Amino acid sequence: MLKDITLGQYFPGNSFIHRLDPRTKILIIITYVVMVFLVQNFIGYAALALFLAVCTTVSKISPKYLIRGLKPILVFIIFTGIFNLFLTSGEVIWSMGFLKITREGVRFAAFMVLRLIFLILGTSLLTLTTSPIALTDGMERLLSPFKKIHLPAHEIAMMMTIALRFIPTLLDETDKIMKAQSARGASIDSGNIFARAKAMVPILVPLFISAFRRADELATAMECRCYRGGEGRTRLYELKYGRVDFWGWVYTAALLAVIILLNITFGSF
Amino acid sequence: MIKLENVSYTYMSGGPFEKKALDGISLQIDPGEFVGIIGHTGSGKSTMIQLLNGLLKPDSGRVIIDGEDLSDKKTNLRNIRFKVGLCMQYPEYQLFEETVLKDICFGPLNMGLSKKEAEERARFAANMTGLPESLLEKSPFDLSGGQKRRAAIAGILAMEPKVLILDEPTAGLDPAGRDEILFKIRDMHKRMDLTVLLVSHSMEDVAKLADRIFVLNSGKIEMSGNPSEVFAKSARLREIGLNVPQITRVADRLREAGADIPPGIYTTGDAYRILLPLLNKQNKQIKNN
Repeated sequence: MLKDITLGQYFPGNSFIHRLDPRTKILIIITYVVMVFLVQNFIGYAALALFLAVCTTVSKISPKYLIRGLKPILVFIIFTGIFNLFLTSGEVIWSMGFLKITREGVRFAAFMVLRLIFLILGTSLLTLTTSPIALTDGMERLLSPFKKIHLPAHEIAMMMTIALRFIPTLLDETDKIMKAQSARGASIDSGNIFARAKAMVPILVPLFISAFRRADELATAMECRCYRGGEGRTRLYELKYGRVDFWGWVYTAALLAVIILLNITFGSF
Repeated sequence: MIKLENVSYTYMSGGPFEKKALDGISLQIDPGEFVGIIGHTGSGKSTMIQLLNGLLKPDSGRVIIDGEDLSDKKTNLRNIRFKVGLCMQYPEYQLFEETVLKDICFGPLNMGLSKKEAEERARFAANMTGLPESLLEKSPFDLSGGQKRRAAIAGILAMEPKVLILDEPTAGLDPAGRDEILFKIRDMHKRMDLTVLLVSHSMEDVAKLADRIFVLNSGKIEMSGNPSEVFAKSARLREIGLNVPQITRVADRLREAGADIPPGIYTTGDAYRILLPLLNKQNKQIKNN
């Protein structure tokens, strides 16, 4: 169960995608998300799929890992599909009792499911090719113009770094605690919902205690190294835009142009 | 009692982080034995003991406890876990209840015992691990490190398992706490007729307690035998990143310097019996000259 979570998992590499500046990658992902919602016909999705396929091939990440990221939200995708399929009104093409499927429903369901899948695949590719540190660094730099309106960019980035850093640690910890309690005969995955909720207590209590302990220790360790927030803080590695970023943008702009063109030529649906 | 037949286990199999933790392990442990398992970090010790109560399932090979194959779907793993008590590394984190007594009762209550029976067992287990009665009504989070460790071990012991597996029970304790826990473990082994598996980094601890030792190295059993057989191969042990008890090192040095000392000395008692006559002989020679 815990093994399926790919959030924050990073595969080191030196591909074109890996070498992109994190700021470029974040902005491209934002553009990509906009494009996922901009697409109005299935040919557009084919273009998106091609874009993603090229990126994945270039990044040398096994598509298996990308697809594994869909697993945790599979139920959510299926429900979205079913709800849209049955609850959209329009021209009825099939009905049984109170259930009816409309032409619009089929299209809408397909669109929703595709959108979700493309969103997850794209963002997974980002986290798989960008180390959490680089990601938050990029985030901080992108947010720093907003410091003028008192947005705590550094603090936000630091919180994200710490949160991401502790995901694997806490997962390990949960696994360990679950094992220790199973060794004492706790049955975690049986019984009705109340029994299961009650069975979570022996896992959650130690987990919270250790999380608080870790937070406390980390705060002490940071203070020992004179951490005092972002003011006047310099960095070991300055982010720099390079030629790869230019080509990354050319590639993304080309896709955007294609999608707008497809929308105009083929219209919606 | 415990039997492993050609057991292999791989973590994250198929991925880029694939790691073969156990590679074709076969061993047998009889009832009432006190077995030590040593090996450097990452040699597969912790993986092996998690296979013994079904927390992990082997990729290939069979794990047999009391004649029951753990991979068999018909085997009730919970019953196996009550039979094979596993106390994991740094077991303090398993404490969660309001009082120490309630926490020790967690295992027995899961077995379906009545509250009264569970408390009786808990008190007995607390006594066995040397936890004073006065602490039982306290919150487990108010205890000291050594006391927490004992409460956690008592939580396993209260299930009255036939086999007790301890993964580094003395890690991170001060010398006094360490000795006391080891002494209690030996006591339990004798008084309750427990089969004990002790996983440890400390050669001294294992040498003091175990009847038989298994040495693990990169997922395989490197050597096995009684302590004097194992510690006689001190050169090989050092090669695989382990050490031998201090007294064995002293004896080895003396032998290298030309003294007539047999290999495989691992307790100060043995060393005393062998070194004293040698010293007396030498003294006589000096006097005669």
